[in-house]
Amino acid sequence: MCSSSRRYQDILAPRKTECSNFMWASRQLNPQVAFKQAKKPSPQYHKDEVVKCPKIQELLITLSEKEQVTKEVLEGRVRNILDEIGYNKKLKVVRWLAVVLTKICNRICSGIYLNEDAILQLKSQMGTCPVIFVPSHRSYADFILMSFMCFTEDVAIPAIAAGMDFHGMWGMGTVLRDTGAFFMRRSYNDDHLYWTTFKQYVYQLVTKGDLPLEFFIEGTRSRTNKSLTPKYGLILMILRAFFLSQVPDVLFVPINISYDRILEEKLFAFELLGIPKPKESTSGFFKSLSIVKEKFGSIYFDVAEPISAKKFFGPDLDRTLHNLQPIHMQEITDYEKKLIPSLAHEIVYKQQKHCIITTFNLLAIVLHNNLTSGRNLLSVDEIIDEILGLKKVIEKFGAYVFMDDPRKCVLEALEVHNNFVRVNEEGKVTLVWDEIVVGKVNVSKLKAHELSEKTITFSVPFMLLQIYINPTLHYFVDLAVLVLIVKHQRAQSQDELFANYHFLRSLLSQEFVTFNTREKMEFTSALAHAVDLNLLSRNQELYDLGENKQLEEIIYNCIDCFIFTYFVVCSVILELSRVIEEKTILAKVQEEIEIKINEGKGFIHPYSLSLDTITNCLNALAGQNVLTKSRKSGSVTYEINDTKVLFIKNRLEQYVTPAQVLQEKFESVQLHLKNKL
Amino acid sequence: MEARKPVLNQKNEAVIRVKSAVPKNRQDLLKWNGWGYRDSKFIFDSAANEVRFTGQRYPIGDLRLPHLMGWVKENFDVDFSKPKKAQEVPPEEKFPKPQISPENLARITNLDISYSLKGLDRLIRAHGQTLHDIYTLRTSFFERIPDIVVWPTCHSDVVKLVRLADESDMVVIPFGGGTAVSGAVECPTGESRTIISLDTSQMNRILWIDRENLVACCESGIIGQDLERELRKLGFTSGHEPDSYEFSSLGGWVATRASGMKKNLYGNIEDLLVHVKMVTPKGVLEKNCQVPRLSCGPDFNHVIMGSEGSLGVITEVVIKVRPLPKCHRFGSIVFPDFEAGLACMREVARQRCQPSSIRLMDNGQFKFGMILKPESSYLGLILDGLKKFYVTKIKGFNVDTMCVMTLLFEGEEADVKAQEKKIYSIGLQFGGMPAGQTNGERGYMLTFVIAYIRDLALEYEIVAESFETSVPWDRALVLCKNVKEVIAQECRSQGIKYYMINCRVTQTYDAGCVIYFYLGFNHRDVENPVTVHEILETKARDEIIACGGSISHHHGVGKLRRRWYAGTVSQVGVDLYLATKKELDPKNIFATNNLIKAKL
Repeated sequence: MCSSSRRYQDILAPRKTECSNFMWASRQLNPQVAFKQAKKPSPQYHKDEVVKCPKIQELLITLSEKEQVTKEVLEGRVRNILDEIGYNKKLKVVRWLAVVLTKICNRICSGIYLNEDAILQLKSQMGTCPVIFVPSHRSYADFILMSFMCFTEDVAIPAIAAGMDFHGMWGMGTVLRDTGAFFMRRSYNDDHLYWTTFKQYVYQLVTKGDLPLEFFIEGTRSRTNKSLTPKYGLILMILRAFFLSQVPDVLFVPINISYDRILEEKLFAFELLGIPKPKESTSGFFKSLSIVKEKFGSIYFDVAEPISAKKFFGPDLDRTLHNLQPIHMQEITDYEKKLIPSLAHEIVYKQQKHCIITTFNLLAIVLHNNLTSGRNLLSVDEIIDEILGLKKVIEKFGAYVFMDDPRKCVLEALEVHNNFVRVNEEGKVTLVWDEIVVGKVNVSKLKAHELSEKTITFSVPFMLLQIYINPTLHYFVDLAVLVLIVKHQRAQSQDELFANYHFLRSLLSQEFVTFNTREKMEFTSALAHAVDLNLLSRNQELYDLGENKQLEEIIYNCIDCFIFTYFVVCSVILELSRVIEEKTILAKVQEEIEIKINEGKGFIHPYSLSLDTITNCLNALAGQNVLTKSRKSGSVTYEINDTKVLFIKNRLEQYVTPAQVLQEKFESVQLHLKNKL
Repeated sequence: MEARKPVLNQKNEAVIRVKSAVPKNRQDLLKWNGWGYRDSKFIFDSAANEVRFTGQRYPIGDLRLPHLMGWVKENFDVDFSKPKKAQEVPPEEKFPKPQISPENLARITNLDISYSLKGLDRLIRAHGQTLHDIYTLRTSFFERIPDIVVWPTCHSDVVKLVRLADESDMVVIPFGGGTAVSGAVECPTGESRTIISLDTSQMNRILWIDRENLVACCESGIIGQDLERELRKLGFTSGHEPDSYEFSSLGGWVATRASGMKKNLYGNIEDLLVHVKMVTPKGVLEKNCQVPRLSCGPDFNHVIMGSEGSLGVITEVVIKVRPLPKCHRFGSIVFPDFEAGLACMREVARQRCQPSSIRLMDNGQFKFGMILKPESSYLGLILDGLKKFYVTKIKGFNVDTMCVMTLLFEGEEADVKAQEKKIYSIGLQFGGMPAGQTNGERGYMLTFVIAYIRDLALEYEIVAESFETSVPWDRALVLCKNVKEVIAQECRSQGIKYYMINCRVTQTYDAGCVIYFYLGFNHRDVENPVTVHEILETKARDEIIACGGSISHHHGVGKLRRRWYAGTVSQVGVDLYLATKKELDPKNIFATNNLIKAKL
């Protein structure tokens, strides 16, 4: 995608200039629907149809014989389930919410940017088949902002698949439901009647609904601000209708929502360390409204081109398999299930490619590099220079950097993030450590190891910083892996390089979401870029490090801490028993890393403590059958194959930064810390 | 093998020698490059700036059609000032020379069977009525046409011809009424052997009528309108009325597994057929009795039906006849939308109370029917206005969603009345409103006229074609929607701005129904309209099959739908068919390449 062709309009701007938002919010609506139906379906109609459908009816007959209850009782149960699930649509609520939201946004946001051309194009394609909005999920605000965007753009507000945690919020659950949310139980359970009803409800919305659907393919908010591995459950439920030819096609619209500053950033930083989030409660929500005093910069929507399921699967999909037997008895075949991951990953890939890189993302990289590489801290002017250099590099990879006037943007970014990045008395940009208040931590709710307050206070600013570096990493990761390999080994041929790349990249496949079919392509492209940027140089058949030491350092520093955590995970599990609970591993790894941090022997990046990284590592190992993952009554356990883990650990060890380098880094960070304190 | 002597009926009636409406020299009456009679066609009268239908053969003949132009302009953006005239009949020297050796020609001459080597005779038997066929006739030439046309006059002529062809390794392609829309009579392009077009049209006698058992034995070349006319004279009807019945032949019906509009009352060809003879290189395949049904292993009638000229020549058919019904009445019901109409159709089928014919046109076809309304009198206009006011304003129907069901009732007066009552009351349950006999009658009349419109369309850069399928009830609605959407998508991606896709339900069964689609588009913006149309139709058929529909309900497979044959019948089915083919026609003289490409 050509970055220069992207254009964004601030959809909040008209709201800021009009004297009252009421006229706008109460205007006559003529929203574009996704799949025009002969008669406009009501929320109640969908529920009734689900109860009446042969699949549910036949299940009720079987259950009533099995459980010796009348069918009417069971039907009542289904209706209760449907009342818990089903969306509602109250235009009045939507309009009021629009007014309130506008007020809030006007106060805390400088703009909500959207590539409006894409929406116009999309609207012209809507009307003839189900349309599924698949936004990235970085914040609770995604829900409401998506609906706000649709309301502004005259697109029918989607029916949104939401987790039950919202349902529990008094008042908010109802408001969300009234604006189109439907609820899905998250906890792992095997209530057959519930899931059959839920699946049928989704099927009903897809085949007979006229609204777009919206769901978060990552399953949950990403705490790290980088993509999560897609989940396949809901997308499969949606595609069922297409596999059974009950709809002409399904259009998936990947959407990236990027934030200058994520509302929940602090919460996430704590969560990544294992200090749990409070349960969603309405009072919590209102507390979060106290953010109204702060500034959050801009929010960016990038709507990608829709992916047609029909075109995507092409002739690989033989829908005639479902021609015999009634539709409601059809089961999705294993082959069809196998087709899902490629589509799900394509959607996530498109979300990534459509992300917006903000000034602060680049600033974070530069600052992080200065802090951890023993460089001098930079003044605003100096940092602008470095940011512009980095901007050029990242744009080469197709990234879009939202920046017009660099100075203005940097100053704005500093203002928005002045909770943890500031200009100190000497006029240098640096991290703020002394404002982190840990508060009371309920030890029983900790997810892993009980970190000391000192560690937490030291770590949180780094965690926050990393959260803003992370969105850029999918542009750099392939390059970084190549640099890492050559730096720690020696000059090598393309084949050797690929073998090593394959090892590291598959290990990091959960960390930086990728799908194996693209591996070779991405390797080739990264290698070309590396040579082009003079990160690597090619001497006859061998690739060696190039001259661009500055970029090498930046890129290397980007993934260093991940490799370290992966190495520690492998070392730790080798010392544990063969079958072990996930929680134990998490705690043990964190404990190990905390010790290393406090040993004072070298700089250990606090992001290495991230539970997300540890879990990603475990999942990647499980994906390679190094560990065997099993889930029993809610808790996850791993069975460990020692030989395989040892092999990986040894191979990883060559890529871990040597102690001497760590020592140098340690001193530099200490210096910065002291300066600040 | 000696043909068995036809048994004369009780009254010792003589064989009926039918004087066909269509002469042996077809081109004298019929268009050489279009549909139907030469004197019947839609024309654009530039002086009056209007479209008319010429001739007196059909009820809309020579009436002004004032609504048509505007509709065509709006829907197809047609520029009436620039007609694309078709090419003239090629002069004799332009035709490829017949590839036939003097010895073989002598052998055929010796059989004492009428034949022709003339270019035009051969050309008009080289094709059916697909868009590809007609477009080729108007603009270019077929790659391969038959080398000789023969006109056998009886079963034994055919036996002799087939024997000769088998001995001298010549190809035989049977030709009936020339209305195939599957590419079935087209010559296989790579065929180097002499191709004989075996025209059955002169083999059209009604050999006998058995009044006690209500069956008639006819030669296969008899065409629908001749058969009906002759039977009616005697107070009977076959009841078999495919849309092409004016021109299509009995043998063709059997060879493609045809279906008629009134199948609810009389049955499809497989229900009508009591006995059939097929001449193959191995001899004549037939049964020794004329019984209503028998339990005797796989029924070889079903090897003959649907064989599409690939296994032999159908020569004589015994079919059921029925006494002519006393009462014959049309009817119609309008529905607020297609969904409601379809639900009503399903209910009628559930109760098995279908009248002779019941059809449901979607909104597109409903509107199309309206624009073909001739100019009515002043009073008629007011009446139409009032009706429209009533339907749209009082009953609240939306002109852009409503659709119409057309009905044909046949039988005793009392039976018809009872049927009408039942149908209209079911209609009411689904929000339908009776819309009178005239609308129903127009619907059926248009069926015959609509075939003519393509020839006019082709002059103005519009290509059009129809295709059909059968589908279980529960999948019918989705199939219609999905196919329309596929066409819309594909037109978009081909850059076609003006197109039409609409459908109707033409038959109902216990377990499903038949959907008939019309597709047309303005091809101004595409390079090769026939290729683009083929792409569209292929996508549509893929979607039909993905939605649980069939390869064809009554048009047959031919060459056009070959690619879906194996998927439909399984590989074992293909092998079984090939084994049959090998047994009956080891030298592949019936090298039609229909169903599958037979390399034996």
